[in-house]
Amino acid sequence: MELHILEHSLKVASIEKEGIQICTHGLIKLAFLASKTRCKFFSLTETPEDYTIIVDEEGFKELPQSEYISVADATWLALNVVSGGGNASNSQPIGVTKIAKSVIAPLADHNISVFMLSTYQTDFILVRERDLPLVMHTLSSEFTLLRVVNGETVAVHDLGVTNGFVKPKLVPRPIIHPLSSPSNMFCVTSLDPDTLPSVATLLMDVMFYSSGPKEPGACSEDSNHIRFFSFSLIEGYISLVMDEQTTQRFPNNVLFTSASGELWKMVRIGGQPLGFDECGIVAQISEPLATADIPAYYISTFKFDHALVPEENIQSVIGALRTKSTAQ
Amino acid sequence: MSGSKPDILWSPHHPDRYVICDSELGLYRIGPVGSSETKAGTLPLSEETAATLLAINSDTPYMKCVAWYPKHEPECLLAVGQANGRVVLTSLGQSHNSTCKELVGKEFVPKHARQCNTLAWNPVDSNLLAAGLDKHRADFSVLIWDISSKFSPEASVASEKIRLSTVDLDSSSVVTKPLYELGQNDACLSLCWLLRDPKLLLAGMHRNLAIFDLRNTSQKTFVNTKAIQGVTVDPHFHDRVASFYEGQVAIWDLRKFEKPVLTLTEQPKPLTKVAWCPTRNGLLATLTRDSNIIRLYDMQHTPTPIGDETEPTIIERSVQPCESQIGSFAWHPSSQNRMVVVSAANRVMTDFTVFERISLAWSSSTSFMWACGRHLYDCVEDGAEGVDSVIEKDIATKMRQRAQSRYGHDTVQVWRNHLLAGGSDPQLKSLWDDLFYMKQCAEDIELKLQGNKQSVVYSGIKNIVKTSSGTTESRRCWSGSDRQSDVPRYHSEERCLALRLCGWISRGPDIDVEIFLRSLEQEREWERAAAVALFNLDIRRAIQILNKGATAEKGDLNLNVVAMALSGYTDEKSSLWREMCSSLRLQLKNPYLCVMFAFLTSEPGAYDGVLYESSVAVRDRVAFACMFLSDAQLPRYIDKLTNEMKEAGNLEGILLTGLTKDGVDLMESFVDRTGDVQTASFCMLKGSPGEVLKDPRVQCWIENYRNLLDAWRFWHKRAEFDIHRGKLDPSSKPLAQVFVSCNFCGKSISYSCSAMPHQGRGFSQYGVSGSPTKSKVTSCPGCRKPLPRCALCLMNMGTPVSNCPGTGKSDDKVDLTRENKLAQFNNWFTWCHNCRHGGHAGHMLSWFRDHTECPVSACTCKCMQLDTTGNLVPSDSS
Repeated sequence: MELHILEHSLKVASIEKEGIQICTHGLIKLAFLASKTRCKFFSLTETPEDYTIIVDEEGFKELPQSEYISVADATWLALNVVSGGGNASNSQPIGVTKIAKSVIAPLADHNISVFMLSTYQTDFILVRERDLPLVMHTLSSEFTLLRVVNGETVAVHDLGVTNGFVKPKLVPRPIIHPLSSPSNMFCVTSLDPDTLPSVATLLMDVMFYSSGPKEPGACSEDSNHIRFFSFSLIEGYISLVMDEQTTQRFPNNVLFTSASGELWKMVRIGGQPLGFDECGIVAQISEPLATADIPAYYISTFKFDHALVPEENIQSVIGALRTKSTAQ
Repeated sequence: MSGSKPDILWSPHHPDRYVICDSELGLYRIGPVGSSETKAGTLPLSEETAATLLAINSDTPYMKCVAWYPKHEPECLLAVGQANGRVVLTSLGQSHNSTCKELVGKEFVPKHARQCNTLAWNPVDSNLLAAGLDKHRADFSVLIWDISSKFSPEASVASEKIRLSTVDLDSSSVVTKPLYELGQNDACLSLCWLLRDPKLLLAGMHRNLAIFDLRNTSQKTFVNTKAIQGVTVDPHFHDRVASFYEGQVAIWDLRKFEKPVLTLTEQPKPLTKVAWCPTRNGLLATLTRDSNIIRLYDMQHTPTPIGDETEPTIIERSVQPCESQIGSFAWHPSSQNRMVVVSAANRVMTDFTVFERISLAWSSSTSFMWACGRHLYDCVEDGAEGVDSVIEKDIATKMRQRAQSRYGHDTVQVWRNHLLAGGSDPQLKSLWDDLFYMKQCAEDIELKLQGNKQSVVYSGIKNIVKTSSGTTESRRCWSGSDRQSDVPRYHSEERCLALRLCGWISRGPDIDVEIFLRSLEQEREWERAAAVALFNLDIRRAIQILNKGATAEKGDLNLNVVAMALSGYTDEKSSLWREMCSSLRLQLKNPYLCVMFAFLTSEPGAYDGVLYESSVAVRDRVAFACMFLSDAQLPRYIDKLTNEMKEAGNLEGILLTGLTKDGVDLMESFVDRTGDVQTASFCMLKGSPGEVLKDPRVQCWIENYRNLLDAWRFWHKRAEFDIHRGKLDPSSKPLAQVFVSCNFCGKSISYSCSAMPHQGRGFSQYGVSGSPTKSKVTSCPGCRKPLPRCALCLMNMGTPVSNCPGTGKSDDKVDLTRENKLAQFNNWFTWCHNCRHGGHAGHMLSWFRDHTECPVSACTCKCMQLDTTGNLVPSDSS
């Protein structure tokens, strides 16, 4: 398997809901007018708490400085696992499940904090730039490491630094954060970039006016219903995560719906904001899923983490994770 | 649909139908303008053709790519790849009960939706439709669908958890299980089936080109490259593939797939389409974005013996089918070099035929060939009945014939060259006579004794008379008459030399023209002889000559009348005779008869009637001037005449100019007029090497003549000319270019014939001294080690070839001419510059008559083919 270290230098930021209007100019430019910026990596995720922005340094210049925006101080690098085309096994699990054992767990063992972003096309594992030597050292045994430099993929070699790194302690990982499962179901989908202009106003409405027509207090019709929407435009590919009701608003055939038309349920991790320093959270969730061979998407935001699992598996997932947390 | 670029597809089987797809599919029929102008709604495509819209299909939104079913039946079946990865079969302009009814509307849905980039029907197994999709996680990007497969709900539901969200589709027409899945974890941007084997699929994947084999799908051949867009196989050369990346086209040879065999010059804008011409070998058309030109690359394979090393020549050119920017184009499948172009906006179409380049080649004789498209024309000059004469009048034909008759090579009887040239050109006769007289004078020992006289011989009469000194004037009697003539005659050494050069007298200082008169009589030039006699004041001899002419066989009896008139000569100024003669002489047709009376009726010193009678040979007028013009008049007249000759390029003027710079000027206007570089070359070679031969014009004539001989494959003539030239102009001899060194001591072994010039091309020769009187030279003169052996007879070089007559036996000793002293060509040492094997020239020649490879065993060098001229046969005999 190959692990590609992408060349984007990423910033992770949070925009408070009240402050979104001062950022919309930049965000619309990044999302819909990609040719006007030099940004190649942009992701916007709306949660009930805030908007999480993941953007490369070129794109970051488009955002204003404001007290509503908090930025995680580290610079992040995106890793991408490319499995060799050779093994033609048809039952490839999707998402973090595939890489749980090979990437997530070893990084957790080495106390490396990761930030996950699953998209329709692939999964990005974000690590801090300063952790890169340790990451490379940790993963070099399992992966062919390739680094993207100016668009060209070149092989990199382990720096050979083995001293000074703590030996991993192989301990069981109990789940320590509270979990919740909202009631609405989600779609992970995409659309043709050529058709983006035709649905741009709809997308803007979904992104920025989700709470518009409804009174802020009146959304308690279903307390378990969660507001969650994610848009990413990464290297020309668009990925969308939205709940089923939102997909109904799109014209037919615009969204890429898979032949099997899966729907996903969400597992929300964290009661308190998780912060960026704690490690092992993704591993705690993904390892049991991998053991059960359940596909999952995983989207980290500024405050909480979100896992998406197939709707028919949600009960077994909740069950499995609860057992793990109570077993502590 | 916004942002979709139009594309064109020609029907694979109807030469008059094509489909334009942008936001919808439009089927058009193309026809001549005349037949369709009555119908409304026809669109003119060119001056001759127009298109009619037959059908529109807008059932399939979000089209990304379209492919036309390749078989006859069902006709007009199209596969459309959509933005969400679905492939839909659709049709245009078909009645509903047509054969493809059950296929139309069928959908092929990938597991995960993403853009369908490309589609390709298998050209042989037409049930197979390959679709290239964008990357989606670890999914496959190349799906090969079987369009005849049926939907099987049970099997699919169990494994794939089908939940069809789009309920409006008839679920029985949806296929979700591809026949083959290839290219896992990758994106596919372009596809084409290989024509050399329909089981092979070439795919432009993300950063590599891959060849998938359907018989073994787990294996693929691939090469990493960025040029992965628009892969397309040359329909005329199934191993040749073109692909592109941004502005650059790469040409691949599947037999040597590691890297492109060619990359075409990069365009400033990204390419949008690259297509091989289906009707013409090696013609590739490319289109870039926002452009109104189509760039064509003509890849010519010129087979050469050393073919591996030469790159194919590419001729690049552009065509502009229309004013507007081009959206797409498509070659017509069968009509030669024809394409339809659609504009980027408004769907404006143009029918366009790329005009074939014309290549033209002159033959070295009188015909030329030109090629255009599939036609080859051989053209010869046409002249209804005068074909022969027109060609024969041509100087090239004349020079060719003259070269074959060894024109110019007679260095002893120089005047004979005129006969070698055909003997019909008076100017050539005059030229060679002049050169003959100059040569005679130059070799005259008497003149040599007179100091520097000899050196001025070749500088022409113009220069000779200028130096004239010590002219004496005399008044001679009419011979045979006691009357004192009042005609003054002038004498000097220079004038005498000039007369010799004119050919009137053979030796000075006495002016005795009798020999000349006799030779003229022999040639039956009665009038001229009479005139010369008269100018020498021998009126009786003149009358006698005229009588002779009248009585000779086929003689002109009128000459008697002239003789009668002549005999009545009187020097009375006011006599009737004089009066009548001066007016009636103009009616005489013969210029010599005319000038005779002009002379007799002229006042002394005023001979314009003689001197400016242009029909009289220059030599005779000059000789006349030398006798009767004073020192003041003579140079003026000669200068005037010289300029006249130079301007006209008249070779008779060489008598005046000699072989000087003036002579080159004269020859220049002659060559300008006639193109006869042959005469010019031979003539100027006679001059003194120091001056005229250095003139760049002369060198140019000589080189051109040599090239001409080469072009005619007159190599022996060329060699003869070079030898001839070397004799007359030693500075033109090339230095020895090839030496043979001894393998042992490294010294040159060519001590015995060091002066031998070499002109070899692929081969070089070493003339081994085969003199039978000497002991055989088979060893190096330096170290006495043996010379290499001939690869065929295994004898050491230098040994006379055993079966060659005339060498090696001592009984030839008697006639050891210079030619025999040099070895026969058969004995020459030749070797291949490539493999360094060789032997006796004769042996090698006979070996390569039947073989292509080197005679040394295990050497596979194709020696003879390396010599590009080795296979040509000279067209002259040696």
